[in-house]
Amino acid sequence: MARTALRYRGSALSRREAWQGYIFASPWIAGFLLFTAGPMLFSLYASFTNYDITSRMNWIGLRNYETMFSHDPLFWKSLWNTFYYVIISVPLQTAGGLLLAVVLNRKVAGIRIFRTVFYLPSILSGVGVYVLWMMLLSPSAGLVNLMLGWVGVDGPAWLTDPAWTKNAVILMKIWGAGGMMLLYLASLQSVPKRLYEAAELDGAGRFRKFWHVTLPMITPVIFFEIVTGMIGGFQIFQEGYVMGYNNEPGAPMNSLLFYNLHMFLKAFKVFDMGYAMAMAWFLFLIVLALTLVNLILSRLWVHYEGGDQ
Amino acid sequence: MKKEKSNQSWVKLLAILCSLSILAACSGGTSGGPAGAASQTDAGTSTDGKVVLNYWTWWGSETRRPIIEKLVDDFNKSQDKIFVKHSYYPYSDIFTKELAAVSAGNPPDIMMNDINTVQQRASKKQATDLSKYVERDKVKDRFFPELWKTVLYQDKPYGLPFNTDTRMMFYNKDDFKAAGLDPEKFPNTWDELEKTAAKLDKKSGDKYTHIGYSPQFNSDWNLLQLNFDGGRNFFADNGKPVVNAPAKAEAMQYILNNAKRLGQSNIDAFKADFGSKQANPFIAGKVSIWTDVTNFYTQIRDYGQNMNFGVAPLPETKEGAGHYSVGGGFVIEIPYGSKHPDEAWEFLKYMTDVQAQTYWAEKNFDNVANKEASNNPELQKNAVYKASVDNLAVTKITPNPLSAPDYINLINPQRDAIMLGQKSVQEGLNQAQADVEKLISNNK
Repeated sequence: MARTALRYRGSALSRREAWQGYIFASPWIAGFLLFTAGPMLFSLYASFTNYDITSRMNWIGLRNYETMFSHDPLFWKSLWNTFYYVIISVPLQTAGGLLLAVVLNRKVAGIRIFRTVFYLPSILSGVGVYVLWMMLLSPSAGLVNLMLGWVGVDGPAWLTDPAWTKNAVILMKIWGAGGMMLLYLASLQSVPKRLYEAAELDGAGRFRKFWHVTLPMITPVIFFEIVTGMIGGFQIFQEGYVMGYNNEPGAPMNSLLFYNLHMFLKAFKVFDMGYAMAMAWFLFLIVLALTLVNLILSRLWVHYEGGDQ
Repeated sequence: MKKEKSNQSWVKLLAILCSLSILAACSGGTSGGPAGAASQTDAGTSTDGKVVLNYWTWWGSETRRPIIEKLVDDFNKSQDKIFVKHSYYPYSDIFTKELAAVSAGNPPDIMMNDINTVQQRASKKQATDLSKYVERDKVKDRFFPELWKTVLYQDKPYGLPFNTDTRMMFYNKDDFKAAGLDPEKFPNTWDELEKTAAKLDKKSGDKYTHIGYSPQFNSDWNLLQLNFDGGRNFFADNGKPVVNAPAKAEAMQYILNNAKRLGQSNIDAFKADFGSKQANPFIAGKVSIWTDVTNFYTQIRDYGQNMNFGVAPLPETKEGAGHYSVGGGFVIEIPYGSKHPDEAWEFLKYMTDVQAQTYWAEKNFDNVANKEASNNPELQKNAVYKASVDNLAVTKITPNPLSAPDYINLINPQRDAIMLGQKSVQEGLNQAQADVEKLISNNK
């Protein structure tokens, strides 16, 4: 109590330190205001205009938002596609990364090599990977369906059947779950040994130890992964642009027309930038709301009890 | 207790910061950003007093780069006041780069661009009105009229047509002979084509080893609908959409009938293996009839090992209906805000004049916009080239209408739904028609 009081007595020293702190943080603050907050506010304003980048910027009130909600069939299609992707892929990727981390947390010979191998896909990215997967997912000659054939499954026409295209993208994304694995692995290793020892003394088996010790201890990391994974998931874009059937963005049947792809096409192909900015803000609100919901729900299941006591 | 609390807020803060920065990156991407023009020298005068013009193209490949640079060099040698500096940017970046540069007021002085979107750029003040130059130098008549139409916005030219292409039917004469067909006579109507194609198929068991023809090979309904509908694209002359016109439904039915005969999965299996050069299915001998732009000839020439092939216009629906085809191409423009439009115009004029156009045609085997260059007798000695120039008479360019520039994004999904059997032809086309009409009324 006495120490706290001392700290808050507003001495010249503490004021100077605070001042210095701001100076150290100032490059970031300037960058944030100039390159993040500024453009964001600009885009908020422009979303109420018919801004087309080069020739006009007239106030049109809520018209962009009205078009979005009631006149643009592709808006709802793209929103649904994106939600579908997020709802399926985020839990799968989280579970996949965790499973991978648990498996790779063993102390066996050559484990470092395995960890590297499973981590590698997450640093490979971009068009090259998509092209590779387009070959793997080819319905007749692709490796995926060939392997499914070995177990007697007649694989789907992944990227040509609109019912399967998003699943194909999700499958491809799970392949990159190694990136999440890394964080899980670190947190798994920081779970104190003594907790396991205590559980063992109480007669807990392998599964109970995992369920009652490991899992609660790493919930903060799981929570972090879910939040960032969800935000990242809503930004899915390139996959629909590159992997579209016959090189048409979002094809077939706009099943890969993700929200950001639709936004991009509106902004840069027909220069309807005001509309695209309205779309961006709507997505921002969705993600903000979902993140807040996540934060509130986290009280129910996330245990903060670092292993550093 | 206290410790736990502070830990919790730390994680929350991290999560919020992460979400903010990720979202910011996302919205930042749509707001244009500063011009990506750092690599270009300032548009201005060089040390020896010449006006420096920045010229952007995406022609960076081994074949095209030397050709465009030779043209630029020749121009520079002929000038004592102008120096054109050619910069290459990848096709995937160059248009957004140009957009950013124009909006920042520091655009290149000369730019190649897509022929189908000139009016969009003109209406958005991204390109310079060339009327006064065109009238002064009387260049209009050097171009094919169909191409000239594409550069007009409110009757004023905003670019000059540079090159174009046209889709034709390539066919393997040896395959025709082997099937007992006359190799000098390509089917004249679509019905005849379907009958001919059936004779060229080869099967082993229930799998095709060779397919005569499918309208889904390197072509699709977007091409056939125009041919079936007397050369009319998705919009009538009065600007009204005609997506569900009866002829367009017939074209769709034609493709569906062919798919039914061959089996859609067989067609898909074939398409999955399509490659280019040696692996092109026509060159590899897996397909007898192939739709492509006439520039495809260079692949046959370079990889086809003296293949015995012929080239013919697209069939017609019935005798005399017309062998309509679709073309694309590029124009050369002065982006809006160029500091030296007068000098840039000199280069535009040079690039579309007979000499440069002939050189381009000869080296790239492209169709060019200049009529006189196209009719060059040396070039026309090549039978494919001659056929391609003849075909331009029935080739339509399909510029995006200003009232619905992205209409195709509404039509393609309906086309897909019909092809997949999820909708009937009429149902799908009616929906596409309704969607395009709605888009037009939104854009009003």
